[in-house]
Amino acid sequence: MTTAIVVTGAGGVGKTTVAAALAIRRARAGQRTLVVTVDPARRLADALGIELGSEPRQVKGERLLSAAMIDAVSSWQAVARKHADPSVANRLVGSEFFQAATAHFPASQSYAAAEEAATYLDSGLWDMVVVDTPPAAGGIDFFTAPSQMADLVGGTLLRLLTGGRLPGRRFLFNRGARPLLRFADQILGSDLLERVAQFLMDLRTTYDGVRQRAQEIESHFLKSFTVVVTTADPAPMAETLRFFRELPEIASPPGLVVFNRSLPLRWAKASPPPRTGLALAENLARWGAEAQRQADARAEFASHYQTPLATIPWMPQAPTDIDALASLIDHADNWADNWADHGLDVTS
Amino acid sequence: MSPSDPRLVIVSGKGGVGKSAVAAALATNAHRHGRKVLAIDVAGGDGLATHFGLGSLAFRPREVRPGLEALAIDRSKALVEYLQVQVGLPQFATLGPAARAFDALAGAAPGVREIVTLGKVLWEVRQGDYDLVVADCLPTGQVSGLLRAPATIAELVPTGRIRQQAEWMRDLLLDPIASQLVLVTLPEELPVIETEETLAYLRRENLIGNHRIIANRVLGELRSSAVGSGAAAEAAALHRSLFSEQQAWLRRLPPDQVLPYLFGLWTPGEVAARLADEMDRE
Repeated sequence: MTTAIVVTGAGGVGKTTVAAALAIRRARAGQRTLVVTVDPARRLADALGIELGSEPRQVKGERLLSAAMIDAVSSWQAVARKHADPSVANRLVGSEFFQAATAHFPASQSYAAAEEAATYLDSGLWDMVVVDTPPAAGGIDFFTAPSQMADLVGGTLLRLLTGGRLPGRRFLFNRGARPLLRFADQILGSDLLERVAQFLMDLRTTYDGVRQRAQEIESHFLKSFTVVVTTADPAPMAETLRFFRELPEIASPPGLVVFNRSLPLRWAKASPPPRTGLALAENLARWGAEAQRQADARAEFASHYQTPLATIPWMPQAPTDIDALASLIDHADNWADNWADHGLDVTS
Repeated sequence: MSPSDPRLVIVSGKGGVGKSAVAAALATNAHRHGRKVLAIDVAGGDGLATHFGLGSLAFRPREVRPGLEALAIDRSKALVEYLQVQVGLPQFATLGPAARAFDALAGAAPGVREIVTLGKVLWEVRQGDYDLVVADCLPTGQVSGLLRAPATIAELVPTGRIRQQAEWMRDLLLDPIASQLVLVTLPEELPVIETEETLAYLRRENLIGNHRIIANRVLGELRSSAVGSGAAAEAAALHRSLFSEQQAWLRRLPPDQVLPYLFGLWTPGEVAARLADEMDRE
């Protein structure tokens, strides 16, 4: 059975780095591990030896570790090709609305990532799949994407336009008869609505496939171990708290919160040794105040939620090779490599 | 207030760079200089509200201080207002099912949703009730789609009233004196690269007339070469490493303005006020 670890959190907190570090640790502990990333920093992608759209491939020098990078646009095309007839799929992928929907419907990227990750989970090739989620509001979008996606292709608009029946192509030619469509034409110009309707009708044919797949993905989410990565800064903290408050029903409760870029609390208490120059003493006072603010933010979080909390120290440079990534966690406080094993109690 | 001051500032940046704090600071700073300011939350969420020390914002402008107001875009309300006021369909709200269908269409058709949102911002500029409109906009990943909306509409809609609206919007966005895009970044790898990519795209597509880069959370140089000992040495070592790493990214993407890293305890309201102070230092 494959264990899924979903790593989520606000943008810019080092989510991908933590996902990669976690995966390396598990692989080195003897588990066949795959890390699926979405949009890593160039240096991290280089360290893992992957590029955009990469299928899973073994990471150089790591026998049990593979990495893959999802390209949301091409994954979305794959979704269309999988769930629609070939001719319809060609029309869909070629549509100007398809590009726009991929770019502007935030759930679509998350859905594409989730569907691809689910494929790897189902393959049985790995003991553990670590999924780094696309940057989205506090990670909530990733979990709600499958149902949003089913809703999009279910066609709220199409139902409104047609009164609930899946229309035949003929409906388009009758549109002059409908006051609503005449009204829309007046504002939009004559054929925009027709082209949108054509696109939505094509998309509608993928509904059964997407809905079924969405349910399968949601059942994966319920069995996965969720790691929330944050920093103690106000904005990521607000998103993390929102994630806990609004945790969607289909996500299992987070098993671990990782505070990245943490400073040692002893800096807050330390007084500079004798003969420390003014510049260094002032510098310690500034960073000490920062360390205290971080500790307060962690304590505030812990007073509301029981979730285990680990810290990773602030590294001046992002890790640029596999060993540096693995050792990131050597420096972590309150870390256990078997977090996810405990988490599995929820699901077995 | 000088005549060259922009009337519209659109603020964007990668998620997590302090975009809303900088937007609130820009609005606060202009207000301190005697301008009547409207700040608009386009991004959703409470980012802008908390940086004004408010719980939340609504579609109706709310007074932050006399002469400084703020509102948040509500897409459905913006759509009704857009169709009634801008497109000129006063009967729209009474159309019931048609309004709902159009709302759904605005959610699905590319450009329509964006033109409604952007339309609200630009409409406020055009009305001239304020000296300056500051829009706390979508993250860089989505702002291109928003700024491109007038062009997208022009490509998709050959005729019709929405197209006419799109044309004056494009002119206003491209006016280098009236409008300015502010890209907020951090001196780190991912935000710098995303800022470069966004700028390259906006230039290629000719979507904005004037832009400025603001680097946020920039560390000052530690003016001592002493190594020190204990925690003082550790803090100095971290500061020096971070400083030199930051300087490398600042050299790669030289900012028009630098805002400092704020150490210690700050509420979002204090952060915005402090950053507004800093904007006068240059």
